[in-house]
Amino acid sequence: MNGEKETSMNPTGKEKIPNRKGKILPAKDGINKAIIDFLKKSLEKKCFDAFLIPAKVPDTESYAWLLLQDQSLLELANPLPPVMMVQGGKALSSVTKHGEMDQRVAAVMRPCEVRAAVELFKLKQNNLENITLISIDCPGAMPLSDYTDNPEKMTKAFEDAFDKWGESDFLRPICQICHRFSLPSLSFSSPPEPPSEQNEEDFVASDLHIGLLGGDKEKIFLLPCSSKGTELLEKLELSPQDSLKNWESKVKEISDKKIKKRNTFNKEWLTKIAGNEKFITVFDECINCHNCMNVCPICYCQQCYFDSQALNLAPEAYLQRAEKRGALRFPIDTLLFHLGRMSHMVLSCVSCGACEDACPMSIPVAQIFAMVGDQTQKDFNYIPGRNRGEALPLQVFLEDEFSEVETPRKGEETSTEEAEKNV
Amino acid sequence: MSKALKIKNGVDKGLNDLLAYLLQNKDIKGIFALKKMNENGAASYSLMAKVDELKNAAPLHPLMPVNAGKVLSSFSLMEATKEPVAAVLRPCELRAFIELIKRNQGSLDNILLISLTCGGVYPLQSVADGNTKKHLPRYWESLKKAEIDPDIRMTCQSCEHFIPDMADMTIATVGKKDLDKECTILLNTPKGEDYAKDAPGNIVSEEIETPETEKLKKKREEQRKKMLEDLEKDGLGLKALVKTFSACLACHGCSHACPICYCTLCDFDSKTLEYSPQSFISELKQKGGLKVPPDNIFFHLGRMTHMAVSCVNCGMCSDVCPVNIPVATVFSKVGLSLQEEFNYLPGRDVEESVPYGIYKEEEFAEIGEQ
Repeated sequence: MNGEKETSMNPTGKEKIPNRKGKILPAKDGINKAIIDFLKKSLEKKCFDAFLIPAKVPDTESYAWLLLQDQSLLELANPLPPVMMVQGGKALSSVTKHGEMDQRVAAVMRPCEVRAAVELFKLKQNNLENITLISIDCPGAMPLSDYTDNPEKMTKAFEDAFDKWGESDFLRPICQICHRFSLPSLSFSSPPEPPSEQNEEDFVASDLHIGLLGGDKEKIFLLPCSSKGTELLEKLELSPQDSLKNWESKVKEISDKKIKKRNTFNKEWLTKIAGNEKFITVFDECINCHNCMNVCPICYCQQCYFDSQALNLAPEAYLQRAEKRGALRFPIDTLLFHLGRMSHMVLSCVSCGACEDACPMSIPVAQIFAMVGDQTQKDFNYIPGRNRGEALPLQVFLEDEFSEVETPRKGEETSTEEAEKNV
Repeated sequence: MSKALKIKNGVDKGLNDLLAYLLQNKDIKGIFALKKMNENGAASYSLMAKVDELKNAAPLHPLMPVNAGKVLSSFSLMEATKEPVAAVLRPCELRAFIELIKRNQGSLDNILLISLTCGGVYPLQSVADGNTKKHLPRYWESLKKAEIDPDIRMTCQSCEHFIPDMADMTIATVGKKDLDKECTILLNTPKGEDYAKDAPGNIVSEEIETPETEKLKKKREEQRKKMLEDLEKDGLGLKALVKTFSACLACHGCSHACPICYCTLCDFDSKTLEYSPQSFISELKQKGGLKVPPDNIFFHLGRMTHMAVSCVNCGMCSDVCPVNIPVATVFSKVGLSLQEEFNYLPGRDVEESVPYGIYKEEEFAEIGEQ
């Protein structure tokens, strides 16, 4: 296990807010414009060769990740689109999976996307060598299907959610309870100290964070998180000397509120799905399309076991199973798929909600995975994507850990017969 | 005229009577059919081995949680079943199964195929919306009158192939005014006749094609024309394709739900279509900007090239698309015109070879020369 006991799921309460320094930029013509201008300047000053950034596809209402070099294309960019398209961590992987970029690319992403990129880094599914990760305060995103049905209405609702910062019923449920909407806030409670033998650079998630909270839409806060970020600001002659107090206190206020909300939410879910029968019912409508897995940034396997030939049985074996239970559901093992996937990725689950967005049956996959993820991550004192240097819990798992879970606790045994009957 | 079994019971109950009879009195060891799961109208395919289970069976429930052709393929993929089973499935599902068999992805042996004249199904989304229960009465009323229920999927509204091929038995539903009182099951093959011999009900003579089925066919054709006109508004070139597929997440759900896309690992999910950072950079230098992940249109075109000739227009691709791209409309547009060129109707006959399997060198020379 890593470091001190986990405290992040409790509101940060009495803990001191670190008085960070950064750069405040005016945003007279809107936040988007201010960010784009900043990026433009960094391109002009040759701080980067290219950007990976969300952009609106011309003549449509759709957004997509754009890898761009031409400054003119930055006009299409929208650093904070109302929806999450392809998860940013996944998009970055597709470009850098097979090695180092020989050009310097800045990737502008939501915090959960940066955290996915960090997890994928640990899983060796990307190369961050020439990549500068820029995270941005995120009020959440609209459900993809709602946006697809009515882009205009949902764009308005998103603006409204931005003003109320995450307090909108239109937002995806998983965003409504997101307490990690501002990446550096992860270190408010227990800033991870880099062990002396490790490089400081390993102990960051994003290199630069763009703070929007506390700026009343009139300014943006630039917070360098790594030497890459500091150098960038220096090169742009934006000396990071401004106090970020307004931003910090606002982030903390909202973060505390969200943590409370999330805890309540998790408790509610637990009662909703406790026990085999309820758990099975939640996934009852699954049609086995595996969309959840295919859009999940953490599920990086080229071919999932559950898509392989391994699950095929001979006809007689299917009939035997059907005979034993009276009937056998097809496709088989849909619940096993979700449990299998969960056990594989939930420690690294960044609660990005892509799974739920992609489910054609509107199963609350993300909410359930978040609930399980919060608990297991807490048990391992692990926050996925917090920093690049922290080892994946299962890589540093010790023999004597969790001996208490090896035998079922009293009162928690469930009859296997009962469980089988329900499958 | 073919023989038909007439059961004096509503179509749902009558069919269940027959299925119970097959399980109890014949050598059938299991029945594949939809089973109701909850009040939202969700259903799933089930292999029912015990008569008791049939009380929850809803073989005619208008929902397609998965294309049943895919289900039967997974059942008979490793080898043909030695124990006979029966399956109730929709015409496009049956046609998908036949196409899969042509590709060695299953076997017809010992499977009694029961299909129906099909009124279409609701979008999967209707389950989440919870509207199924409200809409169901209208579905059956439309079916009796051989009309199109406006709530069924666009693909189904424009489907002309609602009379099954290759079925041993066909449940007549389209235009059957007495659906609530009697169940008519046409016996299309000696196998079908044999299984129905002593079943409850009377054997009569009936035509599968009636003025009512003709009427529905016309309506569906009109609907199809309208749907294609809508699609073609923006033209059909690359530009229009880019626009149509602009919201694509590359989840490949369409390919996973497609019964014809049977590959265990699609090329587009494999290492073959992963690129080095250098190739991104060189493309970036040429174009100034590119969409990531790449190959959005390439994937859809690639998939189309692979399966469009066997596309049975079942609509699963559109149904699972998280961003509502009309995948099925585009694919059926291409599929049907391609199939016309080859004079091929996928799933019509298991003996008929897939066109590319018997493609001759001199065919379509006129295309090559342009």
